Amino acid sequence: MTSPFTAMLQTLSRQRGVTAALVVSEQDGIVIDSNLQIGQQGDRMAALAASLYRKARLSAKAAGLGAVSFLQLEAPNGRLCAVGAGELVLVVVAASAVNVGLVRVELLRAVVELAGLNAGRSA
Amino acid sequence: MVDDLRRLSDELAHDPGSRVFVQLGETLRRQGQQEMALKVTLRGLERHPHLADAHDLLARLYADSGDMERAFDEWDMVLRLMPGHLGALKGMGFICFHRERFGDAERYLAAAAASDPGDEAVASALAHVRAADVEATRGEAVPIPDALAQDSRYLFMTVLRDEAQTALLLDREGLVLAGAYVAGDGRDVAQEVGAELSGVTDAARRATRHLALGDWTSIVFETDVAVVAMAPSPQDGLLVLATSRATPLGLVRRLLDRCSERARWWLNGSSE
Repeated sequence: MTSPFTAMLQTLSRQRGVTAALVVSEQDGIVIDSNLQIGQQGDRMAALAASLYRKARLSAKAAGLGAVSFLQLEAPNGRLCAVGAGELVLVVVAASAVNVGLVRVELLRAVVELAGLNAGRSA
Repeated sequence: MVDDLRRLSDELAHDPGSRVFVQLGETLRRQGQQEMALKVTLRGLERHPHLADAHDLLARLYADSGDMERAFDEWDMVLRLMPGHLGALKGMGFICFHRERFGDAERYLAAAAASDPGDEAVASALAHVRAADVEATRGEAVPIPDALAQDSRYLFMTVLRDEAQTALLLDREGLVLAGAYVAGDGRDVAQEVGAELSGVTDAARRATRHLALGDWTSIVFETDVAVVAMAPSPQDGLLVLATSRATPLGLVRRLLDRCSERARWWLNGSSE
Protein backbone atom coordinates (compact mmCIF):
# COMPACT_ATOMS: atom_id res chain seq x y z
CA MET A 1 0.00 0.00 0.00
CA THR A 2 1.37 3.43 -0.87
CA SER A 3 0.70 6.87 0.56
CA PRO A 4 1.64 10.32 -0.72
CA PHE A 5 4.74 10.05 1.50
CA THR A 6 5.97 6.64 0.37
CA ALA A 7 8.37 7.78 -2.35
CA MET A 8 9.89 10.45 -0.12
CA LEU A 9 10.45 7.98 2.72
CA GLN A 10 11.98 5.43 0.37
CA THR A 11 14.41 8.04 -0.98
CA LEU A 12 15.52 8.93 2.55
CA SER A 13 15.85 5.29 3.57
CA ARG A 14 18.16 4.61 0.65
CA GLN A 15 20.81 6.91 2.16
CA ARG A 16 23.70 4.90 3.53
CA GLY A 17 23.36 4.54 7.33
CA VAL A 18 19.70 5.51 7.54
CA THR A 19 17.76 2.89 9.48
CA ALA A 20 14.30 4.44 9.69
CA ALA A 21 12.30 7.27 8.15
CA LEU A 22 8.92 8.43 9.39
CA VAL A 23 6.33 11.13 8.82
CA VAL A 24 4.82 12.04 12.17
CA SER A 25 2.12 14.36 13.44
CA GLU A 26 3.89 16.96 15.60
CA GLN A 27 0.88 17.56 17.80
CA ASP A 28 0.15 14.04 18.96
CA GLY A 29 3.23 12.09 17.85
CA ILE A 30 1.21 9.64 15.75
CA VAL A 31 2.89 7.96 12.77
CA ILE A 32 1.39 9.05 9.44
CA ASP A 33 3.67 6.85 7.34
CA SER A 34 6.99 5.14 7.86
CA ASN A 35 9.74 3.11 6.29
CA LEU A 36 11.19 0.92 9.02
CA GLN A 37 13.47 -2.07 9.25
CA ILE A 38 12.04 -5.37 10.43
CA GLY A 39 11.65 -5.37 14.20
CA GLN A 40 11.63 -1.59 14.62
CA GLN A 41 8.70 -0.08 16.48
CA GLY A 42 7.74 3.23 14.99
CA ASP A 43 5.08 4.39 17.43
CA ARG A 44 7.30 5.21 20.37
CA MET A 45 10.07 6.51 18.14
CA ALA A 46 7.55 8.86 16.51
CA ALA A 47 6.11 10.11 19.79
CA LEU A 48 9.53 10.86 21.27
CA ALA A 49 10.83 12.55 18.12
CA ALA A 50 7.70 14.68 17.79
CA SER A 51 7.98 15.69 21.44
CA LEU A 52 11.60 16.78 21.01
CA TYR A 53 10.83 18.70 17.85
CA ARG A 54 7.83 20.42 19.45
CA LYS A 55 9.89 21.50 22.46
CA ALA A 56 12.59 22.90 20.16
CA ARG A 57 10.00 24.78 18.10
CA LEU A 58 8.28 26.27 21.16
CA SER A 59 11.56 27.31 22.77
CA ALA A 60 12.68 28.96 19.51
CA LYS A 61 9.35 30.78 19.42
CA ALA A 62 9.79 31.93 23.04
CA ALA A 63 13.25 33.27 22.20
CA GLY A 64 12.07 34.95 19.00
CA LEU A 65 14.38 32.83 16.86
CA GLY A 66 11.87 32.05 14.11
CA ALA A 67 11.02 28.65 12.68
CA VAL A 68 13.06 25.53 13.37
CA SER A 69 14.44 24.07 10.14
CA PHE A 70 16.58 21.10 11.20
CA LEU A 71 17.07 19.25 14.46
CA GLN A 72 19.62 16.61 15.29
CA LEU A 73 19.92 14.48 18.42
CA GLU A 74 23.34 12.87 18.67
CA ALA A 75 24.42 9.82 20.65
CA PRO A 76 27.45 7.52 20.45
CA ASN A 77 25.67 4.84 18.43
CA GLY A 78 23.55 6.94 16.14
CA ARG A 79 21.48 10.02 15.61
CA LEU A 80 17.96 11.17 15.12
CA CYS A 81 17.29 13.98 12.65
CA ALA A 82 14.03 15.86 12.13
CA VAL A 83 12.59 18.64 10.01
CA GLY A 84 9.10 20.08 10.25
CA ALA A 85 6.49 21.35 7.83
CA GLY A 86 3.32 22.67 9.40
CA GLU A 87 1.86 20.01 11.62
CA LEU A 88 4.06 17.27 10.18
CA VAL A 89 7.57 16.24 11.18
CA LEU A 90 9.84 14.16 9.00
CA VAL A 91 12.10 11.99 11.16
CA VAL A 92 15.17 9.98 10.21
CA VAL A 93 17.10 7.62 12.47
CA ALA A 94 20.64 6.88 11.34
CA ALA A 95 23.87 5.22 12.36
CA SER A 96 26.56 7.46 13.82
CA ALA A 97 28.74 6.99 10.73
CA VAL A 98 26.05 8.39 8.43
CA ASN A 99 26.93 11.33 6.22
CA VAL A 100 24.89 13.81 8.22
CA GLY A 101 25.50 16.63 5.76
CA LEU A 102 23.88 14.59 3.04
CA VAL A 103 20.99 13.52 5.26
CA ARG A 104 20.43 17.15 6.22
CA VAL A 105 20.31 18.24 2.59
CA GLU A 106 17.93 15.39 1.70
CA LEU A 107 15.66 16.21 4.64
CA LEU A 108 15.54 19.91 3.79
CA ARG A 109 14.75 18.97 0.21
CA ALA A 110 12.06 16.54 1.31
CA VAL A 111 10.47 19.01 3.70
CA VAL A 112 9.59 21.28 0.80
CA GLU A 113 7.74 18.38 -0.76
CA LEU A 114 6.20 17.55 2.59
CA ALA A 115 4.91 21.11 2.95
CA GLY A 116 3.18 20.75 -0.42
CA LEU A 117 1.63 17.44 0.56
CA ASN A 118 0.61 18.85 3.93
CA ALA A 119 -1.12 21.79 2.24
CA GLY A 120 -2.95 19.36 -0.03
CA ARG A 121 -3.90 17.25 2.96
CA SER A 122 -5.30 20.25 4.85
CA ALA A 123 -7.27 21.59 1.88
CA MET B 1 50.80 8.15 -16.24
CA VAL B 2 48.53 7.58 -19.25
CA ASP B 3 49.86 4.02 -19.47
CA ASP B 4 49.08 3.53 -15.78
CA LEU B 5 45.56 4.77 -16.32
CA ARG B 6 45.02 2.43 -19.26
CA ARG B 7 46.49 -0.54 -17.43
CA LEU B 8 44.44 0.07 -14.30
CA SER B 9 41.25 0.70 -16.30
CA ASP B 10 41.82 -2.53 -18.26
CA GLU B 11 42.45 -4.44 -15.08
CA LEU B 12 39.25 -3.14 -13.53
CA ALA B 13 37.26 -3.81 -16.70
CA HIS B 14 38.60 -7.37 -16.72
CA ASP B 15 37.78 -7.90 -13.04
CA PRO B 16 35.16 -5.40 -11.78
CA GLY B 17 35.44 -6.90 -8.28
CA SER B 18 39.14 -6.04 -8.06
CA ARG B 19 40.48 -3.62 -5.46
CA VAL B 20 42.51 -1.90 -8.16
CA PHE B 21 39.82 0.79 -8.26
CA VAL B 22 41.61 2.50 -5.36
CA GLN B 23 44.81 2.90 -7.42
CA LEU B 24 42.78 3.98 -10.43
CA GLY B 25 40.85 6.54 -8.36
CA GLU B 26 44.10 7.85 -6.87
CA THR B 27 45.71 8.18 -10.31
CA LEU B 28 42.67 10.02 -11.65
CA ARG B 29 42.70 12.31 -8.60
CA ARG B 30 46.36 13.16 -9.16
CA GLN B 31 45.58 13.96 -12.76
CA GLY B 32 42.89 16.39 -11.62
CA GLN B 33 40.02 14.25 -12.90
CA GLN B 34 38.12 14.59 -9.63
CA GLU B 35 34.67 13.72 -10.94
CA MET B 36 35.82 10.55 -12.62
CA ALA B 37 37.87 9.62 -9.55
CA LEU B 38 34.79 10.11 -7.37
CA LYS B 39 32.68 7.96 -9.66
CA VAL B 40 35.25 5.13 -9.71
CA THR B 41 35.69 5.26 -5.92
CA LEU B 42 31.98 5.28 -5.13
CA ARG B 43 31.36 2.40 -7.52
CA GLY B 44 34.23 0.43 -6.00
CA LEU B 45 32.93 1.06 -2.49
CA GLU B 46 29.62 -0.54 -3.45
CA ARG B 47 31.56 -3.81 -3.81
CA HIS B 48 34.07 -3.15 -1.03
CA PRO B 49 32.24 -1.08 1.61
CA HIS B 50 34.76 -1.99 4.32
CA LEU B 51 37.94 -1.10 2.45
CA ALA B 52 39.62 1.57 4.58
CA ASP B 53 41.91 2.90 1.83
CA ALA B 54 38.94 3.45 -0.45
CA HIS B 55 37.17 5.51 2.24
CA ASP B 56 40.41 7.43 2.75
CA LEU B 57 40.56 8.22 -0.96
CA LEU B 58 36.91 9.29 -0.90
CA ALA B 59 37.62 11.56 2.09
CA ARG B 60 40.50 13.23 0.23
CA LEU B 61 38.31 13.72 -2.83
CA TYR B 62 35.67 15.39 -0.65
CA ALA B 63 38.34 17.49 1.07
CA ASP B 64 39.70 18.54 -2.36
CA SER B 65 36.24 19.82 -3.24
CA GLY B 66 35.91 21.66 0.09
CA ASP B 67 33.20 19.33 1.43
CA MET B 68 34.69 18.95 4.91
CA GLU B 69 31.55 17.45 6.44
CA ARG B 70 31.70 14.45 4.13
CA ALA B 71 35.47 14.22 4.37
CA PHE B 72 35.17 14.10 8.15
CA ASP B 73 32.55 11.34 7.97
CA GLU B 74 34.68 9.27 5.60
CA TRP B 75 37.85 9.59 7.70
CA ASP B 76 35.81 8.78 10.76
CA MET B 77 34.73 5.61 8.95
CA VAL B 78 38.35 4.79 8.06
CA LEU B 79 39.36 4.99 11.72
CA ARG B 80 36.52 2.68 12.66
CA LEU B 81 37.66 0.18 10.05
CA MET B 82 41.36 0.61 10.69
CA PRO B 83 42.28 2.45 13.89
CA GLY B 84 45.64 4.13 13.45
CA HIS B 85 45.28 4.69 9.68
CA LEU B 86 47.88 7.40 9.07
CA GLY B 87 46.04 9.23 6.28
CA ALA B 88 42.83 9.36 8.28
CA LEU B 89 44.61 10.59 11.42
CA LYS B 90 46.19 13.42 9.43
CA GLY B 91 42.89 14.23 7.72
CA MET B 92 40.95 14.31 10.98
CA GLY B 93 43.65 16.48 12.54
CA PHE B 94 43.39 18.89 9.64
CA ILE B 95 39.60 19.15 9.82
CA CYS B 96 39.48 19.45 13.62
CA PHE B 97 42.04 22.24 13.45
CA HIS B 98 39.92 24.18 10.97
CA ARG B 99 36.89 23.65 13.21
CA GLU B 100 38.95 25.06 16.10
CA ARG B 101 38.67 21.76 17.96
CA PHE B 102 42.31 22.07 18.95
CA GLY B 103 42.22 19.35 21.58
CA ASP B 104 40.89 16.80 19.07
CA ALA B 105 43.29 18.03 16.37
CA GLU B 106 46.21 17.55 18.74
CA ARG B 107 45.05 14.04 19.66
CA TYR B 108 44.83 12.96 16.00
CA LEU B 109 48.10 14.57 14.97
CA ALA B 110 49.95 13.22 18.00
CA ALA B 111 48.75 9.73 17.05
CA ALA B 112 49.90 10.34 13.46
CA ALA B 113 53.30 11.58 14.68
CA ALA B 114 53.68 8.51 16.89
CA SER B 115 52.84 6.31 13.93
CA ASP B 116 55.35 8.02 11.64
CA PRO B 117 57.94 9.98 13.68
CA GLY B 118 59.85 10.93 10.52
CA ASP B 119 56.96 12.85 8.96
CA GLU B 120 58.05 16.48 9.27
CA ALA B 121 54.76 17.83 7.95
CA VAL B 122 52.89 16.13 10.78
CA ALA B 123 55.37 17.34 13.40
CA SER B 124 55.06 20.88 12.09
CA ALA B 125 51.24 20.70 12.04
CA LEU B 126 51.24 19.36 15.61
CA ALA B 127 53.39 22.25 16.84
CA HIS B 128 51.07 24.69 15.04
CA VAL B 129 47.98 23.18 16.66
CA ARG B 130 49.52 23.28 20.13
CA ALA B 131 50.41 26.94 19.67
CA ALA B 132 46.88 27.74 18.48
CA ASP B 133 45.39 25.95 21.49
CA VAL B 134 47.54 27.93 23.91
CA GLU B 135 46.48 31.12 22.15
CA ALA B 136 42.78 30.20 22.34
CA THR B 137 43.06 29.31 26.03
CA ARG B 138 44.76 32.64 26.74
CA GLY B 139 41.89 34.41 25.02
CA GLU B 140 39.39 32.70 27.29
CA ALA B 141 41.15 33.58 30.48
CA VAL B 142 40.13 37.23 30.52
CA PRO B 143 39.07 37.97 34.09
CA ILE B 144 35.64 39.46 34.71
CA PRO B 145 34.91 42.05 37.37
CA ASP B 146 34.21 40.66 40.87
CA ALA B 147 30.66 42.01 40.97
CA LEU B 148 29.78 40.11 37.78
CA ALA B 149 31.65 37.00 38.90
CA GLN B 150 29.22 36.67 41.83
CA ASP B 151 26.16 36.79 39.56
CA SER B 152 25.25 33.41 38.07
CA ARG B 153 23.69 35.11 35.05
CA TYR B 154 27.21 35.90 33.90
CA LEU B 155 28.54 32.38 34.40
CA PHE B 156 29.34 31.84 30.72
CA MET B 157 30.66 35.32 30.03
CA THR B 158 34.27 34.19 29.91
CA VAL B 159 33.51 31.42 27.45
CA LEU B 160 31.28 33.16 24.92
CA ARG B 161 32.93 35.19 22.23
CA ASP B 162 30.44 37.78 21.03
CA GLU B 163 27.09 39.35 21.75
CA ALA B 164 25.26 36.99 19.41
CA GLN B 165 26.10 34.06 21.70
CA THR B 166 24.16 33.29 24.82
CA ALA B 167 24.08 30.30 27.17
CA LEU B 168 21.79 29.03 29.85
CA LEU B 169 21.88 26.28 32.46
CA LEU B 170 18.55 24.70 33.43
CA ASP B 171 17.66 22.24 36.15
CA ARG B 172 15.58 19.10 35.55
CA GLU B 173 12.34 21.13 35.90
CA GLY B 174 13.42 23.68 33.31
CA LEU B 175 14.17 26.33 35.95
CA VAL B 176 17.10 28.63 35.32
CA LEU B 177 20.21 27.88 37.35
CA ALA B 178 22.69 30.14 35.62
CA GLY B 179 23.35 32.08 32.46
CA ALA B 180 20.96 34.13 30.40
CA TYR B 181 19.06 33.80 27.17
CA VAL B 182 19.10 37.17 25.54
CA ALA B 183 16.60 37.62 22.68
CA GLY B 184 17.28 39.76 19.65
CA ASP B 185 15.54 42.73 21.30
CA GLY B 186 17.86 42.51 24.33
CA ARG B 187 15.32 40.95 26.74
CA ASP B 188 16.40 38.02 28.90
CA VAL B 189 13.86 35.32 28.01
CA ALA B 190 15.65 32.59 29.98
CA GLN B 191 12.56 31.70 32.06
CA GLU B 192 10.34 31.35 29.00
CA VAL B 193 12.87 29.27 27.07
CA GLY B 194 13.51 27.11 30.14
CA ALA B 195 9.80 26.43 30.56
CA GLU B 196 9.46 25.31 26.94
CA LEU B 197 12.54 23.09 27.17
CA SER B 198 11.44 21.43 30.38
CA GLY B 199 11.48 17.69 29.81
CA VAL B 200 13.92 17.72 26.87
CA THR B 201 16.52 15.77 28.85
CA ASP B 202 13.98 13.11 29.70
CA ALA B 203 12.63 12.91 26.13
CA ALA B 204 16.14 12.68 24.69
CA ARG B 205 17.13 9.99 27.16
CA ARG B 206 14.02 7.93 26.42
CA ALA B 207 14.49 8.33 22.66
CA THR B 208 18.12 7.22 22.67
CA ARG B 209 17.36 4.37 25.06
CA HIS B 210 14.46 3.19 22.90
CA LEU B 211 16.65 3.30 19.80
CA ALA B 212 19.64 1.77 21.62
CA LEU B 213 21.85 4.70 20.60
CA GLY B 214 23.64 5.12 23.94
CA ASP B 215 23.47 8.19 26.20
CA TRP B 216 22.66 11.33 24.23
CA THR B 217 25.48 13.83 23.89
CA SER B 218 23.90 16.79 22.12
CA ILE B 219 20.85 18.21 20.41
CA VAL B 220 21.38 20.88 17.80
CA PHE B 221 18.64 22.71 15.97
CA GLU B 222 18.75 25.42 13.37
CA THR B 223 16.22 28.23 13.20
CA ASP B 224 15.72 31.14 10.82
CA VAL B 225 18.29 33.24 12.67
CA ALA B 226 20.17 31.01 15.10
CA VAL B 227 21.75 27.68 15.87
CA VAL B 228 20.77 26.29 19.27
CA ALA B 229 22.81 23.51 20.83
CA MET B 230 21.98 21.60 23.98
CA ALA B 231 23.90 19.12 26.11
CA PRO B 232 23.04 17.18 29.25
CA SER B 233 24.44 18.62 32.46
CA PRO B 234 24.83 17.04 35.92
CA GLN B 235 21.71 16.16 37.93
CA ASP B 236 19.51 15.83 34.85
CA GLY B 237 20.03 19.45 33.96
CA LEU B 238 20.28 20.96 30.50
CA LEU B 239 22.79 23.33 29.01
CA VAL B 240 21.51 25.53 26.19
CA LEU B 241 23.70 27.57 23.87
CA ALA B 242 22.42 29.86 21.12
CA THR B 243 24.62 31.40 18.45
CA SER B 244 24.02 33.20 15.19
CA ARG B 245 23.51 31.21 11.99
CA ALA B 246 26.88 32.48 10.81
CA THR B 247 28.72 30.50 13.50
CA PRO B 248 30.34 27.38 12.02
CA LEU B 249 28.89 24.17 13.46
CA GLY B 250 32.33 23.03 14.59
CA LEU B 251 32.74 26.17 16.66
CA VAL B 252 29.24 25.75 18.11
CA ARG B 253 30.25 22.31 19.37
CA ARG B 254 33.48 23.63 20.83
CA LEU B 255 31.62 26.42 22.63
CA LEU B 256 29.09 23.90 23.92
CA ASP B 257 31.93 21.77 25.33
CA ARG B 258 33.47 24.80 27.03
CA CYS B 259 30.12 25.87 28.48
CA SER B 260 29.60 22.30 29.74
CA GLU B 261 32.97 22.37 31.49
CA ARG B 262 32.15 25.74 33.02
CA ALA B 263 28.74 24.51 34.20
CA ARG B 264 30.26 21.39 35.78
CA TRP B 265 32.86 23.51 37.54
CA TRP B 266 30.15 25.82 38.88
CA LEU B 267 27.83 23.01 39.95
CA ASN B 268 30.70 21.37 41.82
CA GLY B 269 30.92 24.46 44.00
CA SER B 270 33.63 26.21 41.94
CA SER B 271 36.13 24.25 43.97
CA GLU B 272 38.72 23.68 41.24
